[in-house]
Amino acid sequence: MKKTLFITLFTMMITLIAVSGGKKNYGKDVTLKETTKISAIIAEPEKFNGQRVKVEGPIVDVCKTRGCWIKIGGDKEFESVRFKVEDGVIVFPLEIKGKSVVAEGIVSVKKYSVEEQIKSGKEHAEKEGTEFDPASIKEPKIVLQINGEGAQVGDK
Amino acid sequence: MRRFFWRRWNVVLHRDIGYFSVALVIIYGISGLAVNHVADWNPNYVRTKEIVSIHPIASIEKDTIIATMMDQLHLTELPENYFRPDPETAQLFYPGTTYSVDLPTGNVLIEQTRRRMVLFEMNQLHVNAPKGLWTYIADLFAVSLIFMGISGLFILKGKNGLKGRGKWFVSVGTALPLLYWIWYQYLQ
Repeated sequence: MKKTLFITLFTMMITLIAVSGGKKNYGKDVTLKETTKISAIIAEPEKFNGQRVKVEGPIVDVCKTRGCWIKIGGDKEFESVRFKVEDGVIVFPLEIKGKSVVAEGIVSVKKYSVEEQIKSGKEHAEKEGTEFDPASIKEPKIVLQINGEGAQVGDK
Repeated sequence: MRRFFWRRWNVVLHRDIGYFSVALVIIYGISGLAVNHVADWNPNYVRTKEIVSIHPIASIEKDTIIATMMDQLHLTELPENYFRPDPETAQLFYPGTTYSVDLPTGNVLIEQTRRRMVLFEMNQLHVNAPKGLWTYIADLFAVSLIFMGISGLFILKGKNGLKGRGKWFVSVGTALPLLYWIWYQYLQ
């Protein structure tokens, strides 16, 4: 009886480990059928602001402290977009860096004036104990990110 | 007679729920220690960085860059992915390892990430990273802990029970978080 129980538990564990490979879902299911190119969003952020989109690409960076964002490489060189999820709701493990992702979320575009950037730059420098030169801020900045809801990470 | 019946069941439940929960108590305890010191170390991963030099790469063609990097870095398998974050950098992604080459100088940053075996899994369960069904298992465990805490108060009677030495230990144990919080919130 004890031997049977042990063998059953062991077999269940091995089976679970064996089927755990392949694609892995984080958060909600990806439901949109049409994929939007990251280059299109970067080219016209205002057009996509507030829209739900599905994007795909390589994961080129992962939040190292909380796993609360990934950076998805674009279809064009030198372009990427941050896919930010709510802290603790989805936790991206570091080892997914380099894998391919299909992700869905709402595009968010925020504009920061020169004054706002200087203020936050000073606060950040004070907090981190680093130096900050207000003169380095010359123009307003647009921050584009996708507020993530669900992602499917897997091999290519 | 009724009192005896109640105490007996209290002991039985405390014992058996204790047996049932012991694995999770240990997991949450060890993970708690690990996560408490997150400012000093990464409780989930071992991350290493190394810089090596290869010959500068003049090409801007993806296939040439990949082939050159693979050749010079002695990599035998094709990367999972490739990315150019900026005009001077190319990245090759392998499972657990990222190679970032500065094309004009040939300096390569090799970043490796490895899970801390067992501890990673413990931490994931502790912070409820899996969500779904684990949320309810963790809820059940939390309720079990509350039950064991309260039922433990009534295991013994007499001078070693709650009315005896127990009340002093319970008082000190309750005062500790309370006083700390008052100090932290208002006096610090």
